[in-house]
Amino acid sequence: MRVFLLGVSHRTAPVDLRERLDFSSRDLGGAVEAVATRPSAAESVVLSTCNRSEIYVASGDPARAREDLTTFLSDYHSLPASSFTPHLYSRHDEAAIGHLFRVASGLDSLVVGEPQILGQVKDAFQVAADRRCTGPLLSKLFHWSFVVGKRVRTETALGEGAVSISYAAVALARKIFGRLEGRRVLVVGAGETSTLTAQHLRASGVAEITVTSRTHAHAEVLATAVNGRTLAWESIAQGLATADIIVTATGSQRPILTRAQFEPVTGRHRHGPLFIIDMAVPRDVEASVGDIEEVFLYNVDDLQTIVNENLSRRSSEIELAEAIVSEELSKFAAWHRSRSAIPTVVALRERFDRIRRAELQRLDSKLAGLTPEARARVEEVTRLIVEKLLLEPTEQLKGLPDEETQAAYTEAMNRLFRLREGETAQGPAETAAEVTPADPHAT
Amino acid sequence: MNLLPLVLYAAAAVAYAIHFAKRQPAMGRAATTLLLLGALAHTFVIGMQTMEVRHVPFANPSRAVSSFVWLLALSYLYLELTTDERAMGVFILPIAVGLQAIPVVSPGVENADPVLDSPWFWIHVASLLFAYASFALAAMLGLTYMLQFKEIKKKHLGYLYTRLPSLHVLDAMNSRAVVVGWLFLTIGVVVGVVWAAEARALTPENLNLQAMSLQDPKVFIAVLTWAVYSFALLARRALGWTGRRSAWLSALGFVIVLLNFLPVSYFVTTSHTFQ
Repeated sequence: MRVFLLGVSHRTAPVDLRERLDFSSRDLGGAVEAVATRPSAAESVVLSTCNRSEIYVASGDPARAREDLTTFLSDYHSLPASSFTPHLYSRHDEAAIGHLFRVASGLDSLVVGEPQILGQVKDAFQVAADRRCTGPLLSKLFHWSFVVGKRVRTETALGEGAVSISYAAVALARKIFGRLEGRRVLVVGAGETSTLTAQHLRASGVAEITVTSRTHAHAEVLATAVNGRTLAWESIAQGLATADIIVTATGSQRPILTRAQFEPVTGRHRHGPLFIIDMAVPRDVEASVGDIEEVFLYNVDDLQTIVNENLSRRSSEIELAEAIVSEELSKFAAWHRSRSAIPTVVALRERFDRIRRAELQRLDSKLAGLTPEARARVEEVTRLIVEKLLLEPTEQLKGLPDEETQAAYTEAMNRLFRLREGETAQGPAETAAEVTPADPHAT
Repeated sequence: MNLLPLVLYAAAAVAYAIHFAKRQPAMGRAATTLLLLGALAHTFVIGMQTMEVRHVPFANPSRAVSSFVWLLALSYLYLELTTDERAMGVFILPIAVGLQAIPVVSPGVENADPVLDSPWFWIHVASLLFAYASFALAAMLGLTYMLQFKEIKKKHLGYLYTRLPSLHVLDAMNSRAVVVGWLFLTIGVVVGVVWAAEARALTPENLNLQAMSLQDPKVFIAVLTWAVYSFALLARRALGWTGRRSAWLSALGFVIVLLNFLPVSYFVTTSHTFQ
């Protein structure tokens, strides 16, 4: 059984095609079940996010699986295959396994190291597992990929540092205030970036969000969106006095918050720092406000610099993460190879045991005089001999270093012990001489 | 005998430094374990000395330093285990290692004046040493606060930014350490004054007790320390001196404490040399 993968992602397909091949907005469970009905797919998992749609299957025949899955995509999404096949990629065996590991660790994401993907991979597997579409191979593979994702997250800085301006602002706020519960936020101007930042702050648990805008209606819209309250533009001084965090994003051509406005609300009137995030271009807050001791003033450029630094730090971690992926890949491949040795091992055991039993049967009349205990002993000893003979070959077969060697060994085993021919009449007779004088305790 | 704790503290210091730089959780746990072992060994050493001289070994400056390091290690462990924050270890352990080297190099002899044979003495010194340990923690918390404050203020988010707890947490821990330190400092000073007066009445000819006045540098600096930390507490509540200002104050206070503890104890004071 081999691992096969077919899919599209942000690397190969434009967004409109990705949207048309998306499963997540439709019935994902139904899709997995539909894949599982294909004879070439013994096990299946469908992973669908806004940046990728991928189908993983365990299959005995990857070439056939490729055809089946392409037809499935075409049928399921009612698209002619020719419209998406140029954008498809397919991988099998180690390439497919490595791909999943890279996906789960965020290495293949649009924003490298983004944290959601591991959860999405887990969900995709869970949906498939709930519908009994997974089996031993994909179960092992996906659980292994969770481990890889977690290792990359904890052992590298691939996912560290905010990579969007609004997240960078929230991360800074946390670094200043610790937990944001109980903090008060004043939003000045209801622009798009301030809305996003306010939403992130709300999600971080701030106690209160107050919105003020020259156009009161805009303030009300944003206040409703973030479950906050509005403040009349004229009363802005009152908002400045109580806020811990101020987010500004007005369209004003001149600074609207001056140092003079902050003098009465800082110094001994304030216990603790004030964090001002100026999202506006041109800036809303006079630069000299940042000179006040307890004020931390960040504008869009400052935040963008942080984002850029974080991005470059992430990319410097890629090598480390790739090393973890390839380490885990070779571990998984070894496990997979040891698994593919199992049929040969089982056949070998059956073969040996058949010979043993046939010999015992042949000697049945000679052993007739033995007590039941002595007979049980003979049985036990012969069984132990066979097991001991097979112990080392079994270990060796499971630990073969690569698939080529494995194929050669399997072939050799098949020939040496005629494993594929099943029952043969001459089998026991050939080895009879070796087995007969086996048990000294028998007499 | 003080060598084993020193070696363990030094190993812990290295482990904390590696943990700080590489941020490996396993290294952090190793650091805590080493520190715990060091503190245990140190407890044993101090226990042995107590049995040997039949009172807690405080009378000789070197042994007092050793006891201070022991209390510092215990206070830091308490802080770490209650906040689950290991980043401060890299700042605290070097102090422990540096000071513990003193009793190793010059062990000193516990040859105490019989006037010290009083439970008041024990309370006086133990309170002060515990106060000093708290102030050491507060100073390191203040120092890291200032370093991180500077990084955020200058918009240069670098090495420390990704490793230290938030400013708020550092400030809150600093405040707690100063309050605890101030309480024990107050107890220590009050007990000292009461006990000195009592002892002077009993043995008026004792030279140490005669020198016990505000003119003695050790006593004067202790009172100065008390004034600095009292101001820090008051300013935090009344003037809103939190964050950077209280960080500065706690660093200043600890410099005075160290001054009193080491050079003054060893070379200057005439009142606190009960040999």
